[in-house]
Amino acid sequence: MTPLQILDAAVTGSAAPRIPIFCNLFDQGAREMNLHPKAYFADGACVAEAQLRMQKRYGYDNVWSLQYVGKEAELLGCKKILFADDGVPNVADFVIGNWDDIGTFEVPSDITQHPAWQSVADCLAILRDEVGATRPICAYVTASTTLPAILMGMDKWMELFLLGPTDLRDELLRKCADFVQQHLAALRAAGANVLVYSTPFGSPYFVSKKIIANTVMPWMQKDLSRGGVADVVYYCGMAPFNEVIDPVFAQLGIRSHYISPLADLAEAKRIINSRGLTCGVIDDIKMIHWSAEETRAEVRRIIDIGKPGGHFLFGNGVMPMAVPEANIRAMLDAAFEFGQLS
Amino acid sequence: MTLTNYIQAYNEAVFETDKPAALAVVNQALRDGLSPEDVVFKLVIPAVESMMERIEKDQDSNLAQHFMTAQIAADVTEKMLEKFSSPPEIIGKVVIGAASGDLHSLGKRIVSGCLKSLMVKVIDLGINVGAEQFVEAAVANDAQVIAISAMMVHTATGENGSIKVRALLKQRGLEDRIKLAVGGAPYRFDPALFRKVGADAWAPDGVTAAKVIVRLINEAKT
Repeated sequence: MTPLQILDAAVTGSAAPRIPIFCNLFDQGAREMNLHPKAYFADGACVAEAQLRMQKRYGYDNVWSLQYVGKEAELLGCKKILFADDGVPNVADFVIGNWDDIGTFEVPSDITQHPAWQSVADCLAILRDEVGATRPICAYVTASTTLPAILMGMDKWMELFLLGPTDLRDELLRKCADFVQQHLAALRAAGANVLVYSTPFGSPYFVSKKIIANTVMPWMQKDLSRGGVADVVYYCGMAPFNEVIDPVFAQLGIRSHYISPLADLAEAKRIINSRGLTCGVIDDIKMIHWSAEETRAEVRRIIDIGKPGGHFLFGNGVMPMAVPEANIRAMLDAAFEFGQLS
Repeated sequence: MTLTNYIQAYNEAVFETDKPAALAVVNQALRDGLSPEDVVFKLVIPAVESMMERIEKDQDSNLAQHFMTAQIAADVTEKMLEKFSSPPEIIGKVVIGAASGDLHSLGKRIVSGCLKSLMVKVIDLGINVGAEQFVEAAVANDAQVIAISAMMVHTATGENGSIKVRALLKQRGLEDRIKLAVGGAPYRFDPALFRKVGADAWAPDGVTAAKVIVRLINEAKT
């Protein structure tokens, strides 16, 4: 079976030789290509090449078209990204400086014509040609209720979201939802077949369940109203969300859930059961200081919880650059060993 | 209405992230004869302390509640301070900022808001703050605590963040006088990480961080 078929089998509960094994390596790509992150991320072909090389070396199932989260801010007018030698790029220029800017803030009518899209398109074109028929090609989409955090800063967004005028908040959310719809469609058209929908405000760690139900959920429905949700994964930026899994099934129809390492995985598996895919996620921040044996033991613990009954995937978060390569190998060796199904 | 009732009603409003309701409690207290000093010392400070206890015990409290706890307490305190008959005594000073390379400001805003309402003088250095800048500001302001927020793994564990601040404190013989606190998402995922970056303490959220910093201030003073 191809990795894409193994993933499909896990979602539907049909027979497969093993569980799907995802490994998310982003910033490691620059090191792989021996480039500074700024030069690396500017070249979509380079990002694709690094993704293919790392996948081949380690043998996991997926590749990523994500370049960095700030790419979405660039598509919406951000002029400066702070690149780091040893970690993830940071948005350094907020498109919305104050509330007055919301009225004039505009979403491009076609984001695929924006210069910042070119590297994404180049990356996806190569990945689609090389592995599109056999492997999951992941892409990352920030939800409308979280997108303003990279446009104006999290504290200013939190202030507007909780304390500001609702008409202004909703005007911004409408624009962000328009962007999300466009972004999802553009990624699908370019070849992405697993869309990780990042929605931290859809986690009770960020806001109350009441606010999620009354405010966040309707905007998530709007974000996802076109193109279906069969290829969408619910992800809250590593924050726990077990308490909203049922409403996510009922109101969004999303069947795949990327569970936080801080959440109770056994509980998540019980809630999701055979309705969809439970993704068990290792705490890769702890992997910085763990030994290979500790890493292996944790992989085994996660798979022991999730594998019985099927409908399970093993993955990691956003592998920090400081994680030793020996631990990445130990994680994947253990996942392939303990993830066998037949 | 008794003080206990005010505190309870205020905190319920904060927990529901309902700022108008929290301000209504404060205004009612003023109308009922509490002085601005009483509002701060008998209502806001006990309420923030009670919220700290609640958040520490309630693992399900959320970021919005932490934000509102700090925002409302800081707003009320600032307004009341303008009406004080004499400036209140501060309990200590903290230098706060986001680590070198880190542009996130929400965490330190929550911590700062709570600290201000607890009568701690906050010297906010902003975002992307170098290690030398933290130490220089702490010395210049005679601060007891340096608090560093880091929302990304590389800014939490990198050589230019807390690790370098610790090295500078050691090099300059300041470790007894100035304590080092850290906070931010990476520390939640690895609760032992604070030791590896040379910090004296950490907290899982901004409200609890204020409590931890007050403890460090007292330790540094003794």
